[in-house]
Amino acid sequence: MWIYTLRRILTMIPTLLLISAVCFVVIKLQPGNFADQYLEDPRFTKESAETLRRQLGLDQPDYVQYGRWLWGVVSRGDFGFSFASGRPVSSLIAEKLGWTVFVALLTLLCSWIIAIPLGIFTALNKDKPISSLLNFFGYLGLAIPDFLAGLLLVSLVLKLGGSNVGGLFSPAMIDAPWSWERVKDMLAHLWIPVVALGLEGVAGLMRQMRASLLDVLNQDYIRTAKAKGLPSRVVTLKHALRNAINPLISLAGLSLPSLISGTIILSIILNLPTIGPALYDALLSKDQYVALTLLMFSSLMLLIGNLLADLALALTDPRVRYG
Amino acid sequence: MRYSGKVWTAGLTVGLALLSSAAFAAPKKMADLSALGITGGKTGGTYSLALGDSPQSFNYYGAIDNNLGLVAQQLFDGLLEFNLQTYKLEGALAESWKISSDGKVYTFKLRKDVKWSDGKDFTADDVVFTYDQVITNPEAKSGDVANFTIGGQKVKFEAVDKLTVRMTLAKAAPAFLLQLRAFIVPKHKFLKYSVEGGAKPADINTVWPTNVDPSEVVGTGAFKLASYTAGQKVALVRNPNYWKVDSSGQKLPYMDKLEFLIIRDPQQQVAGFLAGNLDQLNITGAQFPDLKAKEVAGATFKVFRFTALFGSPPHLAFNFDAKEPVLQKLFSDVKFRQAVQSAVNRPRIIDTIYNGLATLPGHGVAPANGDWYADTTKYLGKFDLAAAGSALDKLKIKDTDGDGVRNIPGGKNLEFDLTYGTDSSVYPAMASILQNDFKALGIKVNLKGILAKDLLATGRAGNFEAILLAFGDQPDPELRKPIWQPGGSLYYWHRSTLPAKDGDPANTAAMAPWEKQIYDIFNSAATETNKAKRKALYTRWQYLFAQNLPVIMIAKPNNVAVVQNRVGNYIYNLGVIPGYNPVPLVFEK
Repeated sequence: MWIYTLRRILTMIPTLLLISAVCFVVIKLQPGNFADQYLEDPRFTKESAETLRRQLGLDQPDYVQYGRWLWGVVSRGDFGFSFASGRPVSSLIAEKLGWTVFVALLTLLCSWIIAIPLGIFTALNKDKPISSLLNFFGYLGLAIPDFLAGLLLVSLVLKLGGSNVGGLFSPAMIDAPWSWERVKDMLAHLWIPVVALGLEGVAGLMRQMRASLLDVLNQDYIRTAKAKGLPSRVVTLKHALRNAINPLISLAGLSLPSLISGTIILSIILNLPTIGPALYDALLSKDQYVALTLLMFSSLMLLIGNLLADLALALTDPRVRYG
Repeated sequence: MRYSGKVWTAGLTVGLALLSSAAFAAPKKMADLSALGITGGKTGGTYSLALGDSPQSFNYYGAIDNNLGLVAQQLFDGLLEFNLQTYKLEGALAESWKISSDGKVYTFKLRKDVKWSDGKDFTADDVVFTYDQVITNPEAKSGDVANFTIGGQKVKFEAVDKLTVRMTLAKAAPAFLLQLRAFIVPKHKFLKYSVEGGAKPADINTVWPTNVDPSEVVGTGAFKLASYTAGQKVALVRNPNYWKVDSSGQKLPYMDKLEFLIIRDPQQQVAGFLAGNLDQLNITGAQFPDLKAKEVAGATFKVFRFTALFGSPPHLAFNFDAKEPVLQKLFSDVKFRQAVQSAVNRPRIIDTIYNGLATLPGHGVAPANGDWYADTTKYLGKFDLAAAGSALDKLKIKDTDGDGVRNIPGGKNLEFDLTYGTDSSVYPAMASILQNDFKALGIKVNLKGILAKDLLATGRAGNFEAILLAFGDQPDPELRKPIWQPGGSLYYWHRSTLPAKDGDPANTAAMAPWEKQIYDIFNSAATETNKAKRKALYTRWQYLFAQNLPVIMIAKPNNVAVVQNRVGNYIYNLGVIPGYNPVPLVFEK
């Protein structure tokens, strides 16, 4: 198991290297360069553009730029600097990582807590009208994109005379010290992104759980368990559920990169101080080291998510063995 | 303003009143602005504005960033500023100034007893340092070497005494004063990052990154930095040392706090305004009907409309150097451009795209600019497809093969790409109106959408056939010379007039006679110190522009804003216009 984990971690290195090279090439393939966006500024002359390019190292050949970045990462954990603000990329990411992880994990947690029981419930009661109703809402949730749900919620809040539209705090609470009032204020804002993001997650997970459980419930060993005279609660929870949950664990691993890139549009629309919009901006303005680092980070999350999911599978399913 | 004679030219009425009324006149008393609806306010309250994104730095000269500019103009001042009503220059940190008779030596008397927000004295050293070590540092990302290099030489900045600054130019430059709205920064905070303080030139960009301790950010402006919460809010508080008082002598600013809420999405900004989180918001004509309806239905805010001096009127440009030779010939022909102008339906564009919140455009000068505008309306002509058609007929551009599209002599269909910005509230609609009307005229237009922020780069790369673009208007035509002077760095529609090397004279051989005339006009006006003569030159230029249509101006949008009723003394400001800052006068009713 440990050897397996170590081997998986080691194989991540060439994968990440390859991904970083591909990302860098794609960023470079975009037409134009970082300095172009400033041309309309009357103070920005051709010389300014050249000076800026030199300051940013853009006058060097592409492979030199990439090599320097890579060497910085490997030798001293330096992920380069942002062209726009001149600050190290790592400090920019650190500034926003807290809220990003918080919002994403909270949403993930909420959708799991709601979706898994609902999925089990609808599987166990698949012929009852209440399940059809829940399934209908499931379809609806799947069909509504998160940004649309966000906009609808904002407009609903406005209609009802609320002022908690977007952001994580009311203006006065943004820089206030932590207090019970501030937590309440945050909760009043937080439910909109959590609902908007969660809606899609709940619907998807619920249907996944339902399908998976129905599958397992039709297996022979379930019938055997029932025939042995085990109580149906034990059959469902101990025999069926543990087998049915495996696909969802893999799914959870895959959702780790969405910490960064899953919420870009919603974060812009709901004005959340998360990393998503920063990635979007960096890609648009060709702020290459920010974009590259965030893309790498996202890939790393995917790789780690996969690894964790595989390890979790081994823990939950005695049939799965590694090494 | 006088440009000759050794007369201390005080900043208009205000300055004059100050000089005559009080010997201890350290604070600047605001002029009576009752014509703008300005009344005496009361102290206190919080004013909340939207910021489109996080500022990249708190050093105005260390990042090219509009959001930084919006914050910085509340933290810093220049030597001079605009009168909010007349747009004329008057003293800010400088109390008065004089210009030598040859127009080369400018001497500024600084306002007495002005203090930085940390209590240190503001002196001539700060001014000289800012210009010499920061603004004209070629490595400063947002510096401005070009405008302070006159006649091929850097302007010389000297501190004559504690409150006197002298600037010496290699040759007369009448629009030079306008550059002196640049923000002055504190030497005592910047010195160790400057060449004078022993640092590398590019180090100047590293002053005050966004994670700096707010008390380090020191200015002379109406407010000072209180805190910055990444991605969410920039909070400012009143600067108790601010040097301005209202017309009755009460200290400014009225507001205790000024908050910029960072809200990226325009719809979210409107939602934030409707929820009462924002006190004021600049909006577009497209957002107007919804908000106006709410106002009429009794909402607690008002929609304001202002005829704008600043702001960007869109134009339609044809590439005089188009890659296809037939198009190149056609686009360079003034008769063709005139014919096309008759097919530009300005009233419809103003009506449907701007919801009526725009006027007919000027040519390089905003109609609201009383000082320089020449009435060129009659050259805009009327929307008349029949007239446009017969003008094209005269150019022998007729539909010879009966496919509904006119043919250029030689047989090719008259067809071109129109590049426009897709992520804009006006360009897509404008492009399709033009496409439709041109189709009726027998011209086939293929729409080519790109990101609005890439438009200018595309234009400057010559990578277009026709394009919709806009440049901002400024108070003095000299400030827009790189755009409108043939061979200027932004004269993108006729790139063969550009000099082979930057800084060389333009390639006059490639210019049409009227372009050569405009070229000469801008060169003469740049050194002409007599205002009446300058005005005559710029009037001539506007007529040449309107008649020869280097580009076809489309409309001049109004400025529209929504303001909560609890806000008093609101005056529109477009965004970052150094020296035009009405916020200190805003108060809470």
